[in-house]
Amino acid sequence: MATANKNGNQSKQPQQKGMRGLVIGMIIFVVAVGAAFAVISNQSIKSLKLPSSVSKADGYGITFNPTGSPKIDIWEDFQCPICDRFEGINGNYINQVIQAGHAKVVFHTMSFIGPESILAANAAACAANSGKFVQFHAALYNNQPTTENSGKITNPWLILIGAAAGISDSKFASCVNNGDYINWTKNIEADAAAKNVNATPTVFVNGKELDRNTQYMDPAAFKKALTDAGVK
Amino acid sequence: MFNSIHKQQSWLSLIARLILGGVLIAAGALKAGNPAHAAMAVRAYQILPVTLANVLGYALPWVEMGAGLALVIGVAVKVAAILGGGLMLIFIIAIAQAWARGLSIDCGCFGGGGAVAPGHTAYLQEILRDTGLTALAVYLFRFPHGKFGLDKAPQA
Repeated sequence: MATANKNGNQSKQPQQKGMRGLVIGMIIFVVAVGAAFAVISNQSIKSLKLPSSVSKADGYGITFNPTGSPKIDIWEDFQCPICDRFEGINGNYINQVIQAGHAKVVFHTMSFIGPESILAANAAACAANSGKFVQFHAALYNNQPTTENSGKITNPWLILIGAAAGISDSKFASCVNNGDYINWTKNIEADAAAKNVNATPTVFVNGKELDRNTQYMDPAAFKKALTDAGVK
Repeated sequence: MFNSIHKQQSWLSLIARLILGGVLIAAGALKAGNPAHAAMAVRAYQILPVTLANVLGYALPWVEMGAGLALVIGVAVKVAAILGGGLMLIFIIAIAQAWARGLSIDCGCFGGGGAVAPGHTAYLQEILRDTGLTALAVYLFRFPHGKFGLDKAPQA
């Protein structure tokens, strides 16, 4: 032992080298597994539980007047403050268009802002099942918390929003609490990723994006963009 | 004289490792928790084809964390410095081209990202920060061996 100590440097080096290799190997392993998992888990899921009025062909969005035309796609996140502004400016008009059947309208409720967006989008899908998506949509924006992911949006809170939107059936509450459509929110996100949607709100009319700088927040310009496309 | 410079260098290497490594770990961890947003951030640069941009968005945070971890531990510092510095150079180029093309995006460096309202960009600050981090990477490539690292300087 005493002699080994004298040559400590030499006898220690191979051990240190082994340790170094092990640490490098572990880092590479974690990176590879983490990256592979991230890529795989963000793909669209083929078979999953879908809320009613979802159109697979339209990126799994909640669809109104499926045979109508023109087609209006709206990508949004319930926590996005600009979406709230957009809803305040154009929400009533869009709802009128839906009710009159003057266009096919597809809502893509994204959830990239965070976990509370996922809960909100799940609840919106539950509301679609109860036939109250539009009402829930409006009620949720009316009560949008001022800061994102502040802990305010919870399932009990969303059930209260549902009640405010006139949803009284008990299926809604259990749908929200069970997170029935959490997986569906991933498909919405994967579709938005494939369609290169990089901001919310994003509006496509017949597959063409409106001009963000002029046509989103000006109600007259928004209305004109839709009527030009054939909305009566 | 030589000894004191050597001593300073080894402390400087440690500090550079901790700063660059810490920034990479933080940047990676903040993005890895929200892969959908990370992918959006990469898409918003409008350089890569959409499919490739999405894969990069999902995977990149893990590569950043790996390089950062290696730097903080002080293992394979030279390789991690090349990786970290290379990433910073790519980020600088990507941000500069977005600026030059008049895109309005958030760099998405520490989570977030995607399109922002015109006038809400911070391209200059982002480029300056990444330039500083690139300088640290260059220093570490030249002087990879420092205090408390698993890599040991070759014995003279």
